[in-house]
Amino acid sequence: MTRCLDEARLQSYFDGELSIDLMESVTSHLASCVTCAAAARELEEETALLTTALSAEFEVSVPTETLRQRIDAAVLGERVAVAQATEKRSGLAAFFSGVLNFGTQRTLGFASLAVVIAFGAIVGVVMMRTGKQITSNPPAVTPLKSTDVQQLANATPPSVPSPTEESVVVPANDDVPGVRPEKFRRNKPSTNAVPQPVKLFPGERSYLQTIARLDTTINSNKREMRPSLRAEYERNLAVVDRAIAATRSAAKSNPNDPDTADFMFAAYQSKVDLLNTIADARVSNGPRH
Amino acid sequence: MNGQARALIESMPNDIGTEAVGPLSFDEAFTLHHRAVFRTARAVVRDSALAEDVTQEVFLRLYRNLNSTPGEELLRAWLLRVTLNVARNTLRGQSRSMVRDNEYHKTTAENGFFVDAPEDDYERRMAIEEARRALDKIKEPMRSCLLLKQQGLSYREIATSLSLKETNIGSLVARGRKEFARVYGKIGGKR
Repeated sequence: MTRCLDEARLQSYFDGELSIDLMESVTSHLASCVTCAAAARELEEETALLTTALSAEFEVSVPTETLRQRIDAAVLGERVAVAQATEKRSGLAAFFSGVLNFGTQRTLGFASLAVVIAFGAIVGVVMMRTGKQITSNPPAVTPLKSTDVQQLANATPPSVPSPTEESVVVPANDDVPGVRPEKFRRNKPSTNAVPQPVKLFPGERSYLQTIARLDTTINSNKREMRPSLRAEYERNLAVVDRAIAATRSAAKSNPNDPDTADFMFAAYQSKVDLLNTIADARVSNGPRH
Repeated sequence: MNGQARALIESMPNDIGTEAVGPLSFDEAFTLHHRAVFRTARAVVRDSALAEDVTQEVFLRLYRNLNSTPGEELLRAWLLRVTLNVARNTLRGQSRSMVRDNEYHKTTAENGFFVDAPEDDYERRMAIEEARRALDKIKEPMRSCLLLKQQGLSYREIATSLSLKETNIGSLVARGRKEFARVYGKIGGKR
């Protein structure tokens, strides 16, 4: 006859936690040992009591639907929070309201019109260039002169090609409001055979080119900018640049996630919008100061 | 809080794309384990509304850690381990007063958890109270062992949930069960 069973062994036996060999030995022992058989009966009674006592607790229904909705909402909130952390657009929105507050109705109207025209021109130029790139070497990214563009360059790998397009620097003609579409047409013949060591995302190049161009235009007579506008411009630019850097590194580390690329392009779009508005505000308000 | 939560939920779209990472997707994990999480949470915090808070927090943590959670086999143990921690922390933030007990009855009644006839409702409530009082008398980790065992967890899962050795679980369950039977019999639950 085998040794008597301790409480842990007996419990494991009833909980089905023993190996097959041990199960068999316990079964045969219980059949032959009165003491252990009594202990087994007691265990079964107590287990039944425990199960009955706790059944009321565990049988109370679970609010599955409520939980599902709450957790979905919480997860969605989490996703939104993450997206907001990478895409800080609130500062930009505040900026736009600031710009529109000091400007006149005419500024507003002109700004929106110019943004639309500029975008038409950008899309046109980008499409034409994309066509050219298939047959020729890629064009160089335009000069990145100011601090904010350097920030952008830091977000991208460091080896951005050196300045090549002199024609990009357009003298600020404050009295010619419709200068932008003309400007893009002038910039068109800019195929430069500089190799492209920086690995850009598809479509990113056009944003970089547009930003560099707008930036050069604005910087060409930044001193004429009203100090309050300039301060606001720099502050918002820093916000947008941080967003670009953050979203770009996110997009780079998650190349298969389309969302991260979308966030990056949204950040780029924010910067283009910002630069356009500044250029427009300066053009329409400039002559009167 | 419930009103705010409901307003928030109503303003949210329903189709949340929860990624499938690892063998179980977030949705599958919820479907399989939310009952165990909620029941364990309620057994600890003794309040349905608080248990909902705990369950939400547990699954939010799962969502944040989808890449580092254990595989399907031990996911329930991981979830219940988090549940016990969150529930105990929640309890620490709550006063153990009668107010909470009253609140529990109010919210459970409001949420329609006791849909039976009033007498049944009363009897069931008393049964829950008696069992809870008996459980309160059992020391840790035996109490948690009993709770998890009654939820159908294996010794391995219990050991993972409570950071114990698997070889000790049988003994802890046996002692907890004996202690419960003794205390519960005294309270008068044995009918």
